[in-house]
Amino acid sequence: MTLDNLIGKSLEPIEPDSAAIQRLLEAAQRNLKDAELTGLSNETRFDTAYKAIMQLANASLQASGFRTLTSKPGHHQTLIQSLVKTVGIETERMIVLDALRKQRNITDYSGDLVEDAAVTECLLQARYLLATITTWLGSEK
Amino acid sequence: MSALASLLFKEYRRQVLGLLLLQPEQAFHMREIARLTHTQPGTLHKELAKLAEAGILKKTLQGNQTYYQADANCILFDELSSIMRKTSGLADVLRQALQPLANKLQFATVYGSVASGKATSASDIDVLLVGNAGYAEVVAALYPAQQELGREINPKLYSVNEWQDALSAQSGFIKQILANPMLPILGDADDIRQPDREVAGAH
Repeated sequence: MTLDNLIGKSLEPIEPDSAAIQRLLEAAQRNLKDAELTGLSNETRFDTAYKAIMQLANASLQASGFRTLTSKPGHHQTLIQSLVKTVGIETERMIVLDALRKQRNITDYSGDLVEDAAVTECLLQARYLLATITTWLGSEK
Repeated sequence: MSALASLLFKEYRRQVLGLLLLQPEQAFHMREIARLTHTQPGTLHKELAKLAEAGILKKTLQGNQTYYQADANCILFDELSSIMRKTSGLADVLRQALQPLANKLQFATVYGSVASGKATSASDIDVLLVGNAGYAEVVAALYPAQQELGREINPKLYSVNEWQDALSAQSGFIKQILANPMLPILGDADDIRQPDREVAGAH
């Protein structure tokens, strides 16, 4: 399965716009910084780190010449899965990112508390992804 | 706990009931049951026929294929499902999946709709874990069990201190977990209930 196979299903091709990609990277960095503020609740820190992950995934997808189709549901899942094909993260890492996505979904709808371990993992994954994508953009583009 | 199940039911019966009673909305083809339970089709067929004859399973024909499904109208359906939830099926699979992390976990249990028997086919398995395992390793350990159980698994992972703090804070979320049935996987909830109690030796 390549990203081209998903055109019309969950993705559409675009001409990469380096300014738009840069904006997403900067937004992700700001969110990551906010997520590190320990005075905030676990829920807010988790959400903010998760948002950074989505922005990073979106930046790498756009750099590869795609964006998610706004007419189809499941953008977050598509963005997470695309990371395997864009920056080339390992499946194990994708599984963890997907678990964080589900956790966020549940928390949003149920009001469940977010545990420290989930916050730590979400931050760790966001930092790692930022480093991976920065290196990848430097070498590929 | 699997010792209880094997005392009550012979191997094939335990495997079949564990699979079919825990996913009662789902009808399975015999070869599918054989594959999922790692059993031999010949012996399995006899077992399925007996269970269908007794009314525990219902048999349906789709084209020339025979499908088996738990019969929710069986007078023992609730009791048998409850036995399976507590013994062979779910808890066993999760226990095995978490085995590599057993020395890092003080306690693990299923809570929510699956534990209370109110789950629908779309329900996820909510798992509460207390210990010093990492989030990523818990997710990785539980991942293969999702396929085996046919449901998504949502872990909630607390450190011992965090869990004890959460217990004393008694938020709505914690109250709800404690007020409803749990399906223990590892350890004992009571061992970590009191902050002043020894926790290191739990399980």
